[in-house]
Amino acid sequence: MNVERLNDLSIEALYALAEKMGLDLPPALERIFVVEALIEAFQEDSDERKSSGDMAIHIEEKKFSGSELDEIDASLDAAPCIARRYNETVVHWIPRDPEWAFAFWDVKDEELNEYERSGSYGGLFLRVVRSAGGDDKAAVSFDVPVNDDDDHWYLHLPEQDRYYRLDLCVRIAGKAKVIAHSNVIRTPRAILADSFDELEPEARALAELSGLSKLRIQAPPERHPSRIMGGYDD
Amino acid sequence: METGSIALVLNAHLPFVRQPDYPRFLEERWLFESLSETYLPLLRLFAKLEAERVPWRLTMAVSPTLASMLGDALLRERYAAWLKDQLELADKELARTAGDPVFHPLAQAYRDLYQQNYDDFTVLHGGSILPAFDFYYKKGRLELMTSAATQAFLPIYRQYPEAVMSQVEAAVVSFRSAFGRPPSGFWTPQLGWYPGLEETLAAYGLQYSVVATRGAMLGKPTPRHGSYAPVACPNGFTNFIRDVAATEAVWSETEGYPADPAYRDFYRDIGFDLPLDYVGPYVEQGQIRTFTGFKYWAISGRSQEKLPYDPDLASAKAVEHAENFLYNRARQARKAAAHMERPPLMVAPYDAELFGHWWHEGIQWLEALFRKAQGTSELRFVTLGEYHKQHPENFESVPEFASWGDGGYAGVWLEKSNDWLYRHTFKLIEYMTELAERFPNESGLRERVLNQAAREVLLSQAADWPFLLRSGKSGSFARKQIEDAVTNFNRIYEMLCANTVGTEWLTRLEKRNNVFPAINYRIFRRKR
Repeated sequence: MNVERLNDLSIEALYALAEKMGLDLPPALERIFVVEALIEAFQEDSDERKSSGDMAIHIEEKKFSGSELDEIDASLDAAPCIARRYNETVVHWIPRDPEWAFAFWDVKDEELNEYERSGSYGGLFLRVVRSAGGDDKAAVSFDVPVNDDDDHWYLHLPEQDRYYRLDLCVRIAGKAKVIAHSNVIRTPRAILADSFDELEPEARALAELSGLSKLRIQAPPERHPSRIMGGYDD
Repeated sequence: METGSIALVLNAHLPFVRQPDYPRFLEERWLFESLSETYLPLLRLFAKLEAERVPWRLTMAVSPTLASMLGDALLRERYAAWLKDQLELADKELARTAGDPVFHPLAQAYRDLYQQNYDDFTVLHGGSILPAFDFYYKKGRLELMTSAATQAFLPIYRQYPEAVMSQVEAAVVSFRSAFGRPPSGFWTPQLGWYPGLEETLAAYGLQYSVVATRGAMLGKPTPRHGSYAPVACPNGFTNFIRDVAATEAVWSETEGYPADPAYRDFYRDIGFDLPLDYVGPYVEQGQIRTFTGFKYWAISGRSQEKLPYDPDLASAKAVEHAENFLYNRARQARKAAAHMERPPLMVAPYDAELFGHWWHEGIQWLEALFRKAQGTSELRFVTLGEYHKQHPENFESVPEFASWGDGGYAGVWLEKSNDWLYRHTFKLIEYMTELAERFPNESGLRERVLNQAAREVLLSQAADWPFLLRSGKSGSFARKQIEDAVTNFNRIYEMLCANTVGTEWLTRLEKRNNVFPAINYRIFRRKR
């Protein structure tokens, strides 16, 4: 997308594009400023993606060669509208990487109305439960308050290679009530499973020749009893 | 003496873009362009290497959606018609550039390319190229693998075993129907792996896959041979490991071979450069500029004006880059071999459409690789299956969840632009499981309805949609594909709940989304 192509678009199309890019522009902005903001956003987006590592994905984009209206149009009629939600009480989450997981949830309208009518409704919150090996023994947790109109969040998880569950909770009369459980997820490891001192010299050499430094993968520190005992609440 | 082996693995994939309701459809061009610049040229390369007895080995995954489209009568007809349009444009280009010593020969080269494609496609292959790939498969030069039915990014669906199994089962059935035998290898889309996937894959008789270097190196325990030998899961399923250096030489957008100034520029295309009244009949709806495939400029240096494309110079560069690739792999193999008891293996997986389509000279580079390698005893090309037979025992390790996407995990397919879609795809899986449980023994019309519902669930899961939403390219198209699948599914769900089936509508939908004809909806029954 370049200035020339943006200049060919209507102001409505420019605003639609800005919205898709996540730009919050004031209404009735002059055309030149909308174009400037878009060009800047495209540049930032492109820089971010170029600096983010693996180029396989950028190459893959090329096979989807498109038209000058790639960003705002398709070659077909408008899509049918689908409901944004399913009006059910549910919570899901998906691990994205060693540090973040995507959570999305919903509360049935009737159920939420009932809580609100109770007079002691204290809002919704998410409870992140870290469980040992997937069960709830020795589970530890922390709470994340959310607004009633939120329905998805990315949550930062404190430890890699751990199992977590998410509870969707409501606070009633100061007490927490779990209204939905998520599936259990596991955060992936971001460091080698074995420390270098545990690897044979040959295995260590081959690991290094395999591009560990390029991938920014590190070995765990040497094993030490206090580290093994260390845990979530260190 | 052989120092090491190289396994080139190409993933040929396009999402299901068949749109019979429209006379012309922009996204169908993805298929036509890939046929013209990648698949047909690859088949010509294979024939040439065979004729000249050049030893070659290649592994290629053909995705089920691509296989379905390549075998589809309507798309075959449309491709032949599109080629005729391209030939017409080529004739116009010959006339426009007549007398120009630089551009006229390029226009002639494009005319020759499209004529060759037309002749090969319509006469040599009779409109169907899958049997041609199968021919080399049977000869043992080319190994064909399958991939997830709609290339779903499997780690995101791991909490739904029914969904993952349906992606694998539909793929295996589709492969058997296209090539008459079951596949041994499975391309995990985007090299997206998670511990436990090996159980599902092995259950379908699949034996090996390719994983991202990150996932393999973070596997438990740490692989004994780094990325230079595959690893085996406890159930025996084998994972080959992507070689960072071998792939980066080609992938890197700024430093990889395809970025060389001598190569043809992908972006400069007459579809954007020439007046609309000239290119109008060959672009979208006569007015939306698109790539036409006629590109006359070289990438050129950053600080210089674009230079005209010189095919001879570019060909020489492709040969030079092939030599460089082999030189670096030999050096790499020597270093690794010093620490190993067997010759190291370097696995280089790429998107097939990179070759010829984006990297115009990529097919020539492949040819030069095989030709140059025959003069050396140091490196040998192998297919994954060949290697697997020779080395059935491998170090036991289970790779970690990872992918080859930016950041190394799921960040490409799960971010602000596309995360909304999982609320819908998850719901569809849950509804489909409910339907399969409620109607386990249906036949006739109701079975057709349930099978179509299962197709819509699979179509909604294609990793291409979140990918396109993120890239901004054809984002509206991607959104519509998801919304269409959800709408179609919901209508079926409502019909089944109300015990009424609209036969006419169902038949129309079956004709439109005719992928996976042998699908069995019962795969979505809950696993006990």
